[in-house]
Amino acid sequence: MWLRFKSLIFFFLPSLLLAKIDFNRQIRPILSEYCFACHGLDDPKGGLRLDFADFAYQGGKSGFPAITPNDLEESEILHRVVSTDMEERMPPKGDPLKPEQIKLLRQWISSGARYAMHWAYVVPKKPALPKVKDQEFIKTPVDTFILAKLEEKGWKPSRPEKKEKWIRRVSLGLTGLPPTLEEFENFMQDDSPKAKEKVADRLLASSRYGEHWARQWLDLARYADSNGFQADQLRDSWAFRDWVINAINQDMPFDQFTIEQIAGDLLPNATTDQKIATGFHRTPTCNVEAGVHPEENRVNQVFDRVNTTGTTWLGTTLECAQCHNHKYDPFSQEEYFQMFAFFNNTPLEVENKSGKGVSFDFWGPKMELPSPADKQKERETLNADLSALKKQLIALQKAGNVKYKEWTQQKLEITTERDPQWQVLIPTKAFSDGGETLRIVRDGSLLAEGKPGNKSTYQIEVSIPAGTWKSFQMETMLHKSMKQNGPGRNTTNANPNFVLTEMIVKVEGASKPLDFARVEADFNQGGFLPGQLFDGNLESRNGWAIAPEFGKAHWVRAEFSEPLVLGKDSKLQVEMKHLYGGGRNVGRPRFSLSTDGVKKGEAENKRLRELLAKEKRNGKEEKELRAIYDQENPKLLALQKKVGDLEKDLNKVTPPTTLVMVEMDEKRETHVMARGSYLSPKQKVEADVPRVLNDWKQDWPKNRLGLAKWVVDPENPLTARVVVNRWWGQFFGSGIVSTEEDFGSQSEPPTHPELLDWLAVEFMEKGWSMKHIHKLIALSGTYGQSSRVTTAILERDANNRFFLRGPRFRMTAEMIRDNGLQVAGLLSDKMGGPPIYPPQPDGLWRQTGRNEPKYIAAKTEDRFRRGIYVVWRRAAPYASFVNFDGPDRSACHPKRSRTNTPLQALTLLNDQAYVEMALGFAVSILEQTQGKSDEDRVTHAVRRALSRDPSALEIEVLLGLLNEQSERLKSDSSIAEALCSQAPEIKLVKKLEKDVVGAWFFVANVLLNLDETITKG
Amino acid sequence: MNSHPVDQYLRTLTRRQLFQRVGLGVGGFALANLLKNDLSAAPQNPFAHFAPKAKNVIYFHLIGAPSHLDLFDYKPELQKRNGELCPKAMFEGKQLAFIRSRPILLGTSKESMFEFKKCGKSGIGISNLLPHLQTIADDMCFIRTLHTEQFNHAPAQMFMQTGFERFGRPSLGAWTNYGIGSPNEDLPGFVVMVTGQYPGAGNSVFGSGFLPSVYQGIEFRGKGDPVLFLSNPQGVDSTARRKVISAVNQLNEMQLDGVGDPEIATRISQYEMAYRMQTSVPELKDISKESQITLDAYGAKVGGAGFANNCLLARRMVERGVRFVQLFDQGWDHHSGVFSRLPGKCKQVDQPIAALIKDLKERGLLDETLVVWSAEFGRTPMGQGTGGSGEKTVIGRDHHKEAFTVWMAGGGTKPGHVHGRTDDLGYGIADSPVHVHDFNATLLHLLGMDHERLTYRFQGRKFRLTDVHGHVVKDVIA
Repeated sequence: MWLRFKSLIFFFLPSLLLAKIDFNRQIRPILSEYCFACHGLDDPKGGLRLDFADFAYQGGKSGFPAITPNDLEESEILHRVVSTDMEERMPPKGDPLKPEQIKLLRQWISSGARYAMHWAYVVPKKPALPKVKDQEFIKTPVDTFILAKLEEKGWKPSRPEKKEKWIRRVSLGLTGLPPTLEEFENFMQDDSPKAKEKVADRLLASSRYGEHWARQWLDLARYADSNGFQADQLRDSWAFRDWVINAINQDMPFDQFTIEQIAGDLLPNATTDQKIATGFHRTPTCNVEAGVHPEENRVNQVFDRVNTTGTTWLGTTLECAQCHNHKYDPFSQEEYFQMFAFFNNTPLEVENKSGKGVSFDFWGPKMELPSPADKQKERETLNADLSALKKQLIALQKAGNVKYKEWTQQKLEITTERDPQWQVLIPTKAFSDGGETLRIVRDGSLLAEGKPGNKSTYQIEVSIPAGTWKSFQMETMLHKSMKQNGPGRNTTNANPNFVLTEMIVKVEGASKPLDFARVEADFNQGGFLPGQLFDGNLESRNGWAIAPEFGKAHWVRAEFSEPLVLGKDSKLQVEMKHLYGGGRNVGRPRFSLSTDGVKKGEAENKRLRELLAKEKRNGKEEKELRAIYDQENPKLLALQKKVGDLEKDLNKVTPPTTLVMVEMDEKRETHVMARGSYLSPKQKVEADVPRVLNDWKQDWPKNRLGLAKWVVDPENPLTARVVVNRWWGQFFGSGIVSTEEDFGSQSEPPTHPELLDWLAVEFMEKGWSMKHIHKLIALSGTYGQSSRVTTAILERDANNRFFLRGPRFRMTAEMIRDNGLQVAGLLSDKMGGPPIYPPQPDGLWRQTGRNEPKYIAAKTEDRFRRGIYVVWRRAAPYASFVNFDGPDRSACHPKRSRTNTPLQALTLLNDQAYVEMALGFAVSILEQTQGKSDEDRVTHAVRRALSRDPSALEIEVLLGLLNEQSERLKSDSSIAEALCSQAPEIKLVKKLEKDVVGAWFFVANVLLNLDETITKG
Repeated sequence: MNSHPVDQYLRTLTRRQLFQRVGLGVGGFALANLLKNDLSAAPQNPFAHFAPKAKNVIYFHLIGAPSHLDLFDYKPELQKRNGELCPKAMFEGKQLAFIRSRPILLGTSKESMFEFKKCGKSGIGISNLLPHLQTIADDMCFIRTLHTEQFNHAPAQMFMQTGFERFGRPSLGAWTNYGIGSPNEDLPGFVVMVTGQYPGAGNSVFGSGFLPSVYQGIEFRGKGDPVLFLSNPQGVDSTARRKVISAVNQLNEMQLDGVGDPEIATRISQYEMAYRMQTSVPELKDISKESQITLDAYGAKVGGAGFANNCLLARRMVERGVRFVQLFDQGWDHHSGVFSRLPGKCKQVDQPIAALIKDLKERGLLDETLVVWSAEFGRTPMGQGTGGSGEKTVIGRDHHKEAFTVWMAGGGTKPGHVHGRTDDLGYGIADSPVHVHDFNATLLHLLGMDHERLTYRFQGRKFRLTDVHGHVVKDVIA
């Protein structure tokens, strides 16, 4: 069937040549809206298809031709659309066709019912420039097409824009930033005929150009710094973002730009940069929540790659053919999976690290970024050292194998020696200076009750039976009165820790405390060692604590330096000093003595005993046991430490990574998936491209590289058109085809089809140069018209589709922030590198799941760099960007909406980032206008914010506000203090009074909030 | 001002044209907003297809998915066969997130707090874990046979809320906001409150997808500014703020005079609205004037934050005309320790939700307010005994997409009613299945919208919340 269909294409005439009724402009939209969903490629109802002439003339199962050229009677479609019988009427549901639509159909049929290939699938040819009258208006060839249409309608374009407004528009349009005062002055004074071109050339050559235009491309590339989904952990892919910026700055030909991103890895002798470029398709989201099915993840990512390729380059909604044949456009489900096959040969992107259970981590091919030569050298040396050491380590461990078994036997004997027997000592007195009572419990312990003292010292007396004692023990026991049952009484935070600074143990009547030779505890918190209990050091932290081992009883044991020989009725006095504070007191101590000594490593022994006692040890346990064994070998310990240190050093010189595409050696088989589900594979398919588009050339490899070449082949009817149209949309607010994301039969027809084709061909002819096309547009008379909206313009063309005036619309989220920073004099021009963290409100990053990253606002110049570098976390993108229609970049985002909301007002008025900008702006105004009048200062400020001089009325409003606030701030110095304190990162020059800065803050705040300030007008 | 281009322009537009421009975003929408008062005689909403049963929605999404089998769907047979290996058909070839070997059947706990009680005149069984909800069973309308297509949290949350398992589609609240707007201009039409951590799918579950971003859910936060950037910076009091806005708007008006772009007129009105929000939102959040009886009924605290406070705020929002209020509560994903952890979670939500429904009823608001209890899926009637790394854990329940219970109250739903029946083991559906698309179609229907006609054109296609599926479940409509 396809062969036959293909042959039909040659008989279609381009729509331009058809007289009277234009099928593509007038008829296709009607058929597409009312008919194709049921009578198109996908499972046509009654066997009837209306999307191609042959099918329509032949008719469906009924045998009646739906359409017979030049014969209204024999055209069933006409009977059906006018029928009042709902059994017969078409469409069967919804509104009927409008009378004018029916009239068009009749005219079309009676004039031959000629179909034409959908315009977007016909290769563009460069039309001749139309002849126009008003030569004054023509600045670049682009203008002839615009003017021709206006003259056809008898309309006149607007006058050229004022010079000051023009330079702001063009600067914002090309670089996303307003002109600096200097750039502004230079242009205003330049009366040469080349003045405008000089500006355009300067802007196109600026690095700011790539930073601005990369934004749109990264929306398409769904570039973000996180995985999306549960936990939404961060990933390193920013080298790709920088690659895009650099490529645009270098004006890399768009065909090369395309090939490197789709298939840079497959180019012969691919360079590092070409591999980085493939990050374009490593941006899809990845779900790593426990229990995901890795294959489902992978298939979803491939879907995403196919669909994004379709939207970005072909302006085609391929995803409509994912589950069934496309309802409107000539793409079958089989063709969808043929495209899928190109992308089906990359590895899985989640891995189960432990090899057990259902926990997954994000994985997939990564590439190290090149690092400077000296670092590279250092790394090589370190690596060499490390591997040498590791060899030694392995050799030592091997040598140890010989005695390992023997050791375990010995240890088993030692550790099964009986534990010391402890004789509990019964307290006779107990007192705390912190106010709590120490109640004597029947088991000999003391339970602290009542409100814990902040820093309590317990004084306790216990009686000792006569005998010779070798060691002393204190247990910290549990009780339900404590949080998590204890063992401490901490009152400052949620945990039940204690910090015991010092213990003094004395025999009643003795002059000196007892001396201990060895101290052991079952556990200690890092740095809070049990030995510090008896060292006489009363520094509050110099003691014993047990976090995070809460809810468990603990012990500390100490062996006397000399055995303690005592007679009858002896008593021991114990002093426990808790000097850390916050009620971190032991909740239930108990004391005992033993006639045995304290064994070295008693705590470890317990675990060792457990390990040795096991009949069968699993891998983890065996490793643990072996580690204990190895620890007794000082040589091995020293070597391990060396290895650890080296690894740390190596980490410091290890370069960051970026995500790249890698083709597997063995290709996966691709099958059509019923209803788009990977669980229902159907017939096998091979990689191929949709037949309705350009032919595949024999010398292309059937892989991503071939696909990329097909995409940018001059015969591809879509790519160049789609790309230039999207740029046009950025300049003018809307594309020549207003549905910038869709060029299919459901799209809006182009307002200026010849212009679109001219630009597309010009683009390809001039070496796919983006800057060339941008210059043609930026310098055009169309772009350079006044943007004033008059009544006549509103009545004629409210949406400015015919360009009766210049563009005027709100900037994007990033532009608004960049513009504010530039106006305030804060913008840093540092380029590239890991994402930046400007200030945002607390508590916005709180995603569920493992390893959630933290948001810590930058305190360096990173705070003031361009929006393109701001960290893009999919679950919670930068808050002020969201309020200005920034997408979450979870999927290819071809076009941002442009809303106008109260939340935007609140953002510009109150967001910390904008408060800082206003304060910075105020400081900068004052610094740069020293000795000037307030009026001069207002003029200076307005020039910076709006690239123009203020009117007298505007000055009056701003000065009014300034004076009013000035009064208020003078009346109470704390106000200015509070205001200025909010921008700790803005350096206030000491000479400036805070109340003056504060008053100018209000002027700056107003200027940064104006509609004009956030508008490219 | 008669000669002003904006005025003249406005006169040339009919309301219908204005709304046609809504689809194009931008100026049209804003203008329509600006003109609402002048054109109040015209129909307010382009997608108000028929008279609504419900005007507002309060939608609870219990993130992680509560164990419906232990709360709303008692299965004597499952109880009887507790501990048996499950039938092979319930395990083999099934999509389960954690369970990797044939599991046992798991009835509910035998402790008395897990017992089911027949409640009210309707005699609907509700677990003792929810004693407050037990008292309002006769107001509730249960669907015991909801089923979904996704078995991992994030995709299932998106499927439930946006009708699609991947990113990029508008949420139910956004569709509602787009379809019928919101009567209060000083508050967002779609408000979201989250207790605990965010859902795994992030903001997308209340996002606007391809719809203009004005329709997305605006989060009211417990800590910090209730709405982001609501409060003035230090040193700017409300008088100073008023002066700033006046100055901004004076300058914007001069610009409008010179340039004539209607978008500037919209900007002016948005700044005024922002100023009003700075008063209306704190007023909304201030529950200090609520009676002690009301506060106690919810368990809400003046100056507090949390689920109970959010329930009370939800009532205050619908009173003020917020169209769609959505509460997300984290912490219901009981893979392990379901019997030890479920009671605590129930205790947090039971009283406030029941109090909210009673309160709405007493104020005569329940008839026009649709309350929904939902989750991304249910939990298995089989026990799960291992965790994410394959380690042994206290028994819990895995994700279950085949059948689970949701319920509604008010808003034109049938009170004291149960729709659908699961099979004896609570695994599959015995009778009257309801797909997620059916459920969403039904919710839109109650709001007066035809889910087949609530469309938005994007990338050459008219998109719907329910894709090309969905049937209104007539049986749950009063």
